[in-house]
Amino acid sequence: MNWNLLSEVLISAVRMATPLLFVALAELYSERAGLVNIGLDGIMAFGSLVGFLVCFWTGNPFLGVLCGALGGVLVNMVYAFCTVTLAGQQIVYGMALNIFAPALASFIYRVVFGVSSTLAQATLMKTVSIPVLKDVPFLGKLLFDQTPMVYGVYLLVIVTAIYFNRTKSGLNYKAVGEYPKAAETMGINVVLHKYIACILCGFLAGMGGAYLTTCYVNTYSDGIVAGRGFIALAAVIFGRWSASGVLLACLLFGFFDAMQLRLQVGTDLIPYQLFQMIPYVMTLIALTIFGSKIAGPKSKGKPYYREER
Amino acid sequence: MKKILAIALVLCLAVGMLAGCAKEAAPAAEKTFKVAMICDSSISDGGWGAACYNGMTAAAESRGWETAYTDAIDQSAYADTMISYCDLGYDMIFAPGNQYSDAVVQVAADYPNVAFAVLNGSTELPTANIMSILPNADQIGSIAGIIAGLMSKTNVIGFIGGMELDTTKSKLAHFTSAAQAINPDIKVVSAYAGSFNDTAKGMELAASMINEGADVFFGDASAVDSGARQAIDQANGDNVTIVDIGQPADLLGQNPCVVSSVVTDNAAMIAICLEKVETGTFGNEVVFGSLENGAVYLGKFNDALVDADMQTKVADYIKQLQDGTFGN
Repeated sequence: MNWNLLSEVLISAVRMATPLLFVALAELYSERAGLVNIGLDGIMAFGSLVGFLVCFWTGNPFLGVLCGALGGVLVNMVYAFCTVTLAGQQIVYGMALNIFAPALASFIYRVVFGVSSTLAQATLMKTVSIPVLKDVPFLGKLLFDQTPMVYGVYLLVIVTAIYFNRTKSGLNYKAVGEYPKAAETMGINVVLHKYIACILCGFLAGMGGAYLTTCYVNTYSDGIVAGRGFIALAAVIFGRWSASGVLLACLLFGFFDAMQLRLQVGTDLIPYQLFQMIPYVMTLIALTIFGSKIAGPKSKGKPYYREER
Repeated sequence: MKKILAIALVLCLAVGMLAGCAKEAAPAAEKTFKVAMICDSSISDGGWGAACYNGMTAAAESRGWETAYTDAIDQSAYADTMISYCDLGYDMIFAPGNQYSDAVVQVAADYPNVAFAVLNGSTELPTANIMSILPNADQIGSIAGIIAGLMSKTNVIGFIGGMELDTTKSKLAHFTSAAQAINPDIKVVSAYAGSFNDTAKGMELAASMINEGADVFFGDASAVDSGARQAIDQANGDNVTIVDIGQPADLLGQNPCVVSSVVTDNAAMIAICLEKVETGTFGNEVVFGSLENGAVYLGKFNDALVDADMQTKVADYIKQLQDGTFGN
């Protein structure tokens, strides 16, 4: 394998891993507060539409990302109200988001653009390269010639890791996901924490969706999310509910997905379906090899009744 | 309370049935025919879905039909969606792709009075209420191959498919053979996105093919093609050296890299089916679309990218293709 190809695969891997990483971090914040949100695909779809529309109208991708994130929060508030305030089943409402949000997104798109065969195209966020460092051979283009979103998400991984492991507030946050009743007795406002978790989750997942339409491709089409929300969900489990683990999982998946695309282009004798399995198979293998007894936050998936004994 | 509700419901049903009877009694001359389309990609995808939808509406308008559509549906919903339209009294269901064949066969058996038209359906598919609309995939692939063979400077050309459908496979095969008939040194790189929606994947595939040296692209993957074109535009910058051949509508002008398109006139072929439904002669037939009957043709060229000399050469080869002498 020559260096040029390897570097190209790695750049592509970073590109493909970034939206996953946003969404996986979103899920991490949600699950750490005991809320399993499988509605990520739906939140992403809505975020990608809002991001695209704002970017299309204003020509400002940053505003697009921000509005996409806020759109994500808005959609996730449905989930928050149903699972936290009404203490409903998390899986059910997550699934409801997956059905509701993408349909809402394609409805709005249809209302705005009508039925036309001309493709609406918006401006993409420009890459910001860091001077000097970007000229470092091999690593330069990989690490220092990306959109601000990419730098942002890696910064967020570091911040998340520090927050959960090194701050009191982070430990309180984790306590809500582990044993909410004990947390409540220690004066932690569980319901407030759960709502904050939902806001963060919606914000980041919406941002991940908006990344697709403002930094990656310049069009919106139904189904653009293509199951990335579920991959992110798997990445959180694979990453053992830690920021660094999630980072590793997303990069690994991005790398194998980028690689399978290159391998497909290189050969035409092997059925392409075999290559398409690679990222999933590798994730499975890694999960079996590195599998540990860590089972995630203890109270995840369980509704919290404040006055129950 | 429950009883009142039950009685009310029964009354509703009875009134509904009466209304149904009244409708059937209306004179047949006033009947407005209705056609519905299902689609797995979006009808505003700027590619396949859009072209098929526009084809259907154009055909329906020419014959005074009403239209409806359901798009962006999963494979699991193909049959259910069609059944809903059958129950709503639609006269014809238009399924724009080979991938709907199984679901169509399943539903058509239960609704013998509804006509089903399958675009790119196989020649074995038609029954008493199913017809295939079959644009000549071999010719479509060959036309694109001719352009690619003449235009490629790097001798590498790229093909991106959505799913491995029969029509996609034969487009790829003829794309390859036609390009190689013109320039034996041509190498074809091909890949499948495994989806018709994942625009980002189209981008990645095109980027990796550009890295392999590909400079003429052709695709058969709806929204994925849009992603590929974006990657090509990005690689080109201001100077267009890598080009894309569009299909199935004339996509010239959508992206700077589009050099020409292989156009399939779906409207004309769908209109034939509509006419057959009206006259009651629908079924057991394949409507072919080809260069010969004008349902497949080469779209306009981007004159800035292709000089007149090259355009004449392409036209000559396509003439040969039509006469059956190409490649001999």
